[in-house]
Amino acid sequence: MKEKMEAVAEQKIAIDLYKNGQNRKVMEPLFRWTSLVFAGLIVLSLAAMILVMVVESWPSITTFGIRFIWDTAWNPVTLEFGALPYIYGTVVSSIIAILVATPISIGCALFLTEMAPSWIRAPIGFLIELLAAIPSILFGLWGLFVFMPFVREYIQVPLNQFFGFIPLFAGEPRGLGMLSAGLLLAIMIIPIITALARDVISAVPSLQKEGALALGATKWEVMRKVILPYSRVGILGAVMLGLGRALGETMAVIMIIGNRPEINLSLLEPGQSMAGVIATQFNESIHSLHVSALIEIGLLLFLVTFLLNVIARFLIWKVSGGKNGVRVVQ
Amino acid sequence: MLSKRFSEKKGVKGGLLFLAILMLALLVAACGAGNDNGSQSIDPAQTETTEPTDASDSTEQDQAEQDSAADDAEGGEEGYAPPTANVTLRGAGASFPHPLFMSMFYDYNQQYPNIIVDYESTGSGGGQRALKEGTVDFAASDAYMTEEDMAEVPNGGVIHIPITIGTVAIIYNLEGIDTGLKLTQETLSKIYLGEITRWNDPLLVADNPDLDLPDQAITVVHRSDSSGTTSIFTDYLSKVSPEWAEKVGSGTAVDWPTGIGGNKNDGVAAQVAQTPGSIGYVEFAFAVENNLTYAQLRNKDGYFVFPSLEAASLAAADAAANMPEDTRVSLVEKGGKDSYGIVGTSWLLLYKEYPDPDKKAAIQHLVSWMYREGQKHAEPLHYAPIPEEIAQINDRNLAKIK
Amino acid sequence: MAKDMLVQDLKAWYGTQQILKNINLKIEKNSVTAIIGPSGCGKSTFIRCLNRMHEVTPGARVEGKVWFDGINLYDPDVDPVQIRKRVGMVFQKPNPFPTMSIFENVAAGLRLNGFKDKKRIPEIVERSLRMAALWDEVKDRLHESGMSLSGGQQQRLCIARSLAVEPEILLMDEPASALDPIATGHIEELIVELKDKVTIAIVTHNMQQAARIADYTAFFLHGELVEYNQTEKIFTSPDDKRTEDYLSGRFG
Repeated sequence: MKEKMEAVAEQKIAIDLYKNGQNRKVMEPLFRWTSLVFAGLIVLSLAAMILVMVVESWPSITTFGIRFIWDTAWNPVTLEFGALPYIYGTVVSSIIAILVATPISIGCALFLTEMAPSWIRAPIGFLIELLAAIPSILFGLWGLFVFMPFVREYIQVPLNQFFGFIPLFAGEPRGLGMLSAGLLLAIMIIPIITALARDVISAVPSLQKEGALALGATKWEVMRKVILPYSRVGILGAVMLGLGRALGETMAVIMIIGNRPEINLSLLEPGQSMAGVIATQFNESIHSLHVSALIEIGLLLFLVTFLLNVIARFLIWKVSGGKNGVRVVQ
Repeated sequence: MLSKRFSEKKGVKGGLLFLAILMLALLVAACGAGNDNGSQSIDPAQTETTEPTDASDSTEQDQAEQDSAADDAEGGEEGYAPPTANVTLRGAGASFPHPLFMSMFYDYNQQYPNIIVDYESTGSGGGQRALKEGTVDFAASDAYMTEEDMAEVPNGGVIHIPITIGTVAIIYNLEGIDTGLKLTQETLSKIYLGEITRWNDPLLVADNPDLDLPDQAITVVHRSDSSGTTSIFTDYLSKVSPEWAEKVGSGTAVDWPTGIGGNKNDGVAAQVAQTPGSIGYVEFAFAVENNLTYAQLRNKDGYFVFPSLEAASLAAADAAANMPEDTRVSLVEKGGKDSYGIVGTSWLLLYKEYPDPDKKAAIQHLVSWMYREGQKHAEPLHYAPIPEEIAQINDRNLAKIK
Repeated sequence: MAKDMLVQDLKAWYGTQQILKNINLKIEKNSVTAIIGPSGCGKSTFIRCLNRMHEVTPGARVEGKVWFDGINLYDPDVDPVQIRKRVGMVFQKPNPFPTMSIFENVAAGLRLNGFKDKKRIPEIVERSLRMAALWDEVKDRLHESGMSLSGGQQQRLCIARSLAVEPEILLMDEPASALDPIATGHIEELIVELKDKVTIAIVTHNMQQAARIADYTAFFLHGELVEYNQTEKIFTSPDDKRTEDYLSGRFG
């Protein structure tokens, strides 16, 4: 009986092998070529995008040269254009967002994975993922009508009162401005970073945690000494994705940053972001040089994002110990 | 890898439903807040003075007048017959007249089903670019074209046809002052230049003896996007303030000396509503529809007037008296006891030559219909109609198309 | 420093499923006690109850008493963190901390426990690595990652890590199951050497291994302790028929 079954099984395996052999001749090359075409399309469309942006911004590039990057003028009447205030607005608001969002997100993720009672994890995790999916225009509306007055009364006014002597918090607490934009961005990216960090942290093998527990580590020590070091590359990746969203965020920032292309040390003063100026001025701009300058801003935004990604890669490389240091399993 | 993990979460359907509910709740909250702020600044007296008390009557009357005018035109040299062939006209440009155009084109298509008009609201700049590239049959713009740009237009060049009049209202947010703020050419330009920074500035107090202006910083709000509204507003400031003309100038977007920027009319309105002590400028129609508090402005003849469609048409009529034949002229700060200062034109931009005879016939018929019979759509949508004086100039220009 | 341990009426659950039923057993000091039995018999759960590691798993529950140095580990006032400092554990798979160097791995327990005398750390690390018979192989690359070692070396590193905090009892949960025969041999030799300094309880699915290294052997089946005696007695003349059946390979 047993032998008979084995014989049948063997026969079946032989048939399957034969079939697979047929499939391999057709399916595998087909699959390989289709995926190659799709991969190629991504590279091509990226290249095409850069090419078009360079071509379209060429008048601006040749008119203003490299000083476009550090020039602070933006005058569509006299046609003088410089990108620095926009670069400043984008970078500073994103940095505020990251500085605020990262510790909160990691705290949330640790709470969800390590501390929260299990019945609460799924619903909270679900809510966080929902938050991450809310369109940014809604964040913008909420930011303008609810969050901005709140920031003005309970954050800006006290900051200005007690720390007004620091240039960072000087000026008129209007509600709109760099600080509000940074905080709103932080709220927008906390769900993203939390959701990703939670996945990364829950992927830490329990054997690692138990290894530390067995040495007499407390829960807090396990998190600090084992979980965070183990998942730092993944967490850094999550933070970078959050930063990516902050850098490119357009509508919500437009509604709350104040849209004034100025470099101001005070975080209470308005600023303007790169994505914001493109989105608001592109449609009705009439002079071709104005349009060209806007496209060059787009090119710079691309460059800034690229640079930050390179820095992030470098950080990850550095954190994972560089060439011959400590290897990280991820 | 991260994003994959992220997106592979379960419960997508339930998530969407929940999200929809959450969005709704957010929207309701946001709208509620917006309405609250709007209703604070409702002023019945103001609405009375600015809105026609019996809209239906006046529209009918206008329509009658305009119908007869159109009849006259058709009887004369400028009477255009619509083509019999099927024609699709493609247009692009300014977003300001877009709602008016939609209303006009719908009506027109009901009457002349063989002519389809396809208008894309890409912004004035987009319209001008499309015209230069020859990808449209007509464009619309809130600013007239410069000589430089006109030289680039193919098909024999460009013809400007004023199609509607835009008015800009000055809105403000001052606690306890729901109406009655009076501004002059001088105070408005100095506020936007950043020279008047507080509401109790002696210049403002002198113009508003009845008001108790607070000792509060003025937060200047302007458009952050480039727009026809900004073009009209800065055109006005350049006209009334040599200092503004020299330091800033006019355009769809400018280098603002002070203030914060809001995106589009609603952005400016929202920021004014959310910032005590602020002042801003929006399309008049937008101010009316949203019950915003707007200021009286001293006109060229020295009278303080509220913005209104009548006041705008009066300014346009005054401008028509010595308007150049190509209509490329600003309408700001025109004379007349009741005319309002911050007024501008939206133009249709046409080619001088349409090689396709059907298209030529369709364009001429459509455009002449738009500035005559089509004007009945203007007032219900809070656009100021084109006065007859300008319509006659349009007749002459339209006849030049080959 | 080695201590003994007395288990009284120990019961354990995962959720509603009872894994251990009334276990009573004494682990003698300075000896090696092997826990054997077929898969799913509760032997791993048992050993994880001895340093209160079982309760770390969500839904896990324990009843009963485990006496150690005069205290009941499951007394409500006892801090499991303090217990684990004195009852060390080595796991099925080597689990060195990947972000730490070899040296830091061994020192990790000291640092976690706030060991004050920083100057003595290198000395303790060396002693622990020597005890784990790893010193000669890693002394020139103490600052490389623990992950750069072979599987058997990693497991000895984990043993050294446990020894560094000088536990009185060392629990080992199938420490050689993921290793090749040569590495297994090293670990077994090490265990026999270590029992002079520390009491060892080892879970193993390998009966020969138990016979080679254990002084006492406990046979578990379906969450019950079937038989517990000196290893020799268990392997030569078991009292229980089930033990005999298992040892002769009739099931399991």
